Amino acid sequence: MSYLLSGLNIKNISEYNSSDAYNKYDVIDFQLHSQKSAYPNYTGFGETGLLFWFNNEYLNSFNLDLDNYITGWLNKETSDISSDGLYANLLQLSGDKSLRPFVYFDDNYIELFGDQFLSGSGFDCIERTTFVCFDASASPDTNPEQNIFRFDREDGWAESKYSNGPSGFLKIKGSNAQGQAKIMVDEQEFDASSPIYNALNIITLIQSSGNPSTDPSITVRQNGHQLGAYEHYYSGWTSGFLKLGDTNNPNGVKYYDIFSFSGVLNESEIKSYEKYLYESYFDSNDFYFAKEDVPAGFSKSPLSYNGNDYWTQDIDDLFKLSYGSSVNFSAKLSRSDFGDGYQSNVSRNINSLNSVFDLKYDGLTDVQAKCLIAFFETTPEAGIKSENEGFAGVNIDLFQPYKKDAELYFLDINHSTPYNDINTISIKAESLYDSNLDYKGMSIKLDEKNIRTYSDSLAGFEYDDVVYLESNFYSERGYYYYTGQKTKTSVSEENSPLGAQSHFTNEFYFKSDIDYDITNQINLVTIDYEGSTKQYLKDGINYNDLEFNLSFSSRSNKETRALLKFLDDKAGFKIFRYSLPQPYNKEIDVYCPEWDHTYNFHDNNDIQVKFVQFRAKSSKSTNFDTQIDFVSI
Amino acid sequence: MSKFLNYRGVDFQLENEDFYATNVSLSAQASVDPVILSDGSLLSYAPSSAVVGSLSCDFYLTAALPSYLNITGTHDTPIKAKFANVEIAEVYPKNISFSVEPFQPVLISAEFDWYGDVKVENFEEQGINQVKQKQVPNYIAHSYKSYLSSRNIFNSDYSGPSGPTGPSGPSGPQGSIVSFSYRSSCDRPTFFNVDEVVPFRVGKLNKQCEVDLSANNLGKLISVNGKNASSVIYLKDFYGTSLSSFSIDGVLSNQNYNISEGQYLLTEASIRQTITETKTLI
Repeated sequence: MSYLLSGLNIKNISEYNSSDAYNKYDVIDFQLHSQKSAYPNYTGFGETGLLFWFNNEYLNSFNLDLDNYITGWLNKETSDISSDGLYANLLQLSGDKSLRPFVYFDDNYIELFGDQFLSGSGFDCIERTTFVCFDASASPDTNPEQNIFRFDREDGWAESKYSNGPSGFLKIKGSNAQGQAKIMVDEQEFDASSPIYNALNIITLIQSSGNPSTDPSITVRQNGHQLGAYEHYYSGWTSGFLKLGDTNNPNGVKYYDIFSFSGVLNESEIKSYEKYLYESYFDSNDFYFAKEDVPAGFSKSPLSYNGNDYWTQDIDDLFKLSYGSSVNFSAKLSRSDFGDGYQSNVSRNINSLNSVFDLKYDGLTDVQAKCLIAFFETTPEAGIKSENEGFAGVNIDLFQPYKKDAELYFLDINHSTPYNDINTISIKAESLYDSNLDYKGMSIKLDEKNIRTYSDSLAGFEYDDVVYLESNFYSERGYYYYTGQKTKTSVSEENSPLGAQSHFTNEFYFKSDIDYDITNQINLVTIDYEGSTKQYLKDGINYNDLEFNLSFSSRSNKETRALLKFLDDKAGFKIFRYSLPQPYNKEIDVYCPEWDHTYNFHDNNDIQVKFVQFRAKSSKSTNFDTQIDFVSI
Repeated sequence: MSKFLNYRGVDFQLENEDFYATNVSLSAQASVDPVILSDGSLLSYAPSSAVVGSLSCDFYLTAALPSYLNITGTHDTPIKAKFANVEIAEVYPKNISFSVEPFQPVLISAEFDWYGDVKVENFEEQGINQVKQKQVPNYIAHSYKSYLSSRNIFNSDYSGPSGPTGPSGPSGPQGSIVSFSYRSSCDRPTFFNVDEVVPFRVGKLNKQCEVDLSANNLGKLISVNGKNASSVIYLKDFYGTSLSSFSIDGVLSNQNYNISEGQYLLTEASIRQTITETKTLI
């Protein structure tokens, strides 16, 4: 059992076996093969006969020119390297620098474009087993044939058994569709079992010279699956000159790893080396979830063409959110109190508005609950986002009115079951990457469908519609809310957002519930001398600062979108005017640092907001509105 | 001009199977609450749940009760109902009941929940020929031959000889049962995906069976634990053909003794069984 499986609190999750069938919601740990992986230079199998091994693991694997272009990719199998550094290495000694690939040491591959290549001699073998891991982009050519590598007699150090034959090629060809994508050995085509473009591929070539009862042949495997065998291969395969690249593809082929052994390895060894490539370069999240019943067979495996029809790592393919899902927004502000009730709030960073979602999945069967809990427990297995960030979050479609492409980090899970085979799961998840600076909105997007950019020709408005008005003036630019009668046409200039009789507003026009609760505490300073009466003194000139909560219950989806968009746009710290309800009836400046939203049912949303009175009059002229141009020098 | 639809013998089908119903009723209930704003005005009436439909019917049992009406089973998928040319694609049975009394045919009552849109405007009157050609069942469940077989109802301790599966002998002095009734029921909780008003799943929970009976005596008084009791109800038609059986193995928890002027002493008892399911390990 892998450490991944043993780390879960769920039983009966196993490594994938293509000979088994699976049921919908089954969870597998896809490991390509059940064998343990082995480095190419592993000697536990005995004398391996490793001929060459190239990858981008170490800086000293390359000879570079002064501009970091590669002049030599050095063989990690160092036993046969001669003193001049030319033998058994892949070189690019041309004076034409355009033929040299560039090396990015942050990447774990070397990318060769068009006619770029690396070549070398000293790789002679009559029988060999060769492994290559690459990622080819699609070529703009309508009938592309991309070279991956070739063996040839040119500059070969040994006489080939077939001394007058042509080069031995490994190529890919065709479109990326099943049945169209081909892997070619010389001119022999094999139907690819997995996509060949924009995807990592492990190709294994087992080159046998045959025996008295069998002809010479090359067996081709793709991602651990045998595609077929090709007899009477070209003589170049038995020669010692290896050329990598010259792909004919201007979009490039990424070479992650290539190595070869003399002789024909047994299947167990082959699987161990294929697994080394899989573990080294493929996506680190090996957990897959069945979104349909999966028949047995490699053609239904996660890496196969049909894999996406059966397996997924996307939670939206498996589960839909239930009513009762909710979210809490809170602004991370640095507040300064200046006395007399005056204050200042500074947003700590561009992502200062923190949102924590409570995602509810109701009515799950035990099988579904097992799947969802396993999904939750395996989310840290996602790949690293970048050098400076941790693992990637979960991409998920949020509930209305929030965006559909959110990235959340699952933090904790609550599982309850009221009865046999009925489960409720709530997952708390945090959003980290939504910026205050995005004028299109953090969680509620300017999607041009539910929220549109206003123009004179924009038609069709209902109460609580939200539009975004572009303007050169900061004071006019922003979101406006329609408060007029429903119309199918556009509105007149007079009734437009900036019109004299506007049917739009950018003020807080929403009315809270009839039952509200406002507590007012007078800010006082106390002097309590021992043995004397306590004295109360007013704390400055503004001692009646309000901080109160309001509820907006059972609101329609449209009003909810408008209200939440208003708060989203204010980002937790921007000041707006609010008219206090009866009997106060006074308009004050407030900001909203925190609010909650629960989606109860269709057209039924509860929103609770916290308003804090702000004493310094908001002034639009103080806003930062300077354009900064960044130029490279 | 308005027209009242007239029915003679209700056409009622479940899963395309005819049921000889005496009564079918259909209703729909929307849960809405007023939303009142801080200025005292009414904003709207907001839905708090889906439209819940209810379908109830009384029908004569003419054959074995179909498995989809087994309320206490694990089967929780919907069935199709149709009457008066209106079809409801997904109804969820939640209880059935019947009473057996001397000289009476046995009428099964069933209740269902349903969700989603139903074209109630399509109700149609039966054609004259349809009424004339309507077949009348020959065999319906009848109390004349139906009976209740019980154990431990009339005695607190069973004293019969042991059989391979437990005591199997007579249960001692037997009361005379005057009438009995049976009811099996469950709750059907609904689960919705966001933005949908029709549930993606209607579960089953709190499954129960209950038998009430009236007899001339009930043996000893029940203890604090009630009295373990079991019974099997055999429904037969007038000619003794077996149609269906209903078993219950639960606890007798209620005994009533009633006597009134000019009447015999009449006792009543209730046996209740909570149906459980052992979880299958996954």
